[in-house]
Amino acid sequence: GPADTGRQGQPQGPGLRTRLLVTALVGAGLGGAWLALRAEKERGRQQQRTEALRQAAVGQGDFSLLDHRGRVRCKADFRGQWVLLYFGFTHCPDICPDELEKLVQVVRQLEAEPGLPPVQPLFITVDPERDTVAAMARYVQDFHPRLLGLTGSAEQIAQVSRSYRVYYSAGPKDEDQDYIVDHSIAIYLLSPDGLFTDYYSRARSAEQITDSVRRHMAAFRSVLR
Amino acid sequence: MAAPTMKERQACWGARDEYWKCLDENTEDASKCKKLRSSFESSCPQQWIKYFDKRRDYLKFKEKFEAGDFQPSKMTAKS
Repeated sequence: GPADTGRQGQPQGPGLRTRLLVTALVGAGLGGAWLALRAEKERGRQQQRTEALRQAAVGQGDFSLLDHRGRVRCKADFRGQWVLLYFGFTHCPDICPDELEKLVQVVRQLEAEPGLPPVQPLFITVDPERDTVAAMARYVQDFHPRLLGLTGSAEQIAQVSRSYRVYYSAGPKDEDQDYIVDHSIAIYLLSPDGLFTDYYSRARSAEQITDSVRRHMAAFRSVLR
Repeated sequence: MAAPTMKERQACWGARDEYWKCLDENTEDASKCKKLRSSFESSCPQQWIKYFDKRRDYLKFKEKFEAGDFQPSKMTAKS
């Protein structure tokens, strides 16, 4: 057992102690050098990552769209704010209203907590043909006073959807010229740098999303100057 | 055609839920739910009716599947 080893070791006296000391010092020196090297490498990696993030923050997912009051809004306008973003359409039967309701519930929960930065709720249409500025204005008022509805030309919507990897496809028109737009469903979280930070599928509850956003807020360090 | 307002949406969902409840209670026998069907149809856009009908089929299928009642070989043989 360990007790025996201890007793056997002792009679060898200072000789062993010196050897142990030398070994420990050399070991510590090597270990220290290795740690310093690793820290240096880590710093380099971190710098590279920050630079990549900074470039992405400036360019990726950029858009220029009209809000529901007719004002031009681009991604840079939301810099410094946390953004919760959802893509959908106003003629949507059930999923979009549910998801938007969930999104604004998260915003309300976070608003109620003192000391947290404000969150901007955004709704981008994937049905630019019908979702004009006026249609968006009518729609968003039911959800939250600060919810911004964004629309644009078919090309602008195609571009912003592509940059957030949102798929959408309008179904066939019926006699009323009505149609359903099939589209991917996710709520996106953008950091104050405008960077895509997280996304939440339909299965996530408002409480789960609120917790996640709170954690991201606590961990956030800006990569922009 | 303008999109339904929140009030209209809620009226439509309410009528849909009543109709679906009737189908649940009558083992999917739609002939016993004609009144609720017509109220559902008058409360929702036509396109939504089609969508909700398909959605119910899917939800029923999912229920069966999750309950373990679904047998792929039988289904394939039938179709």
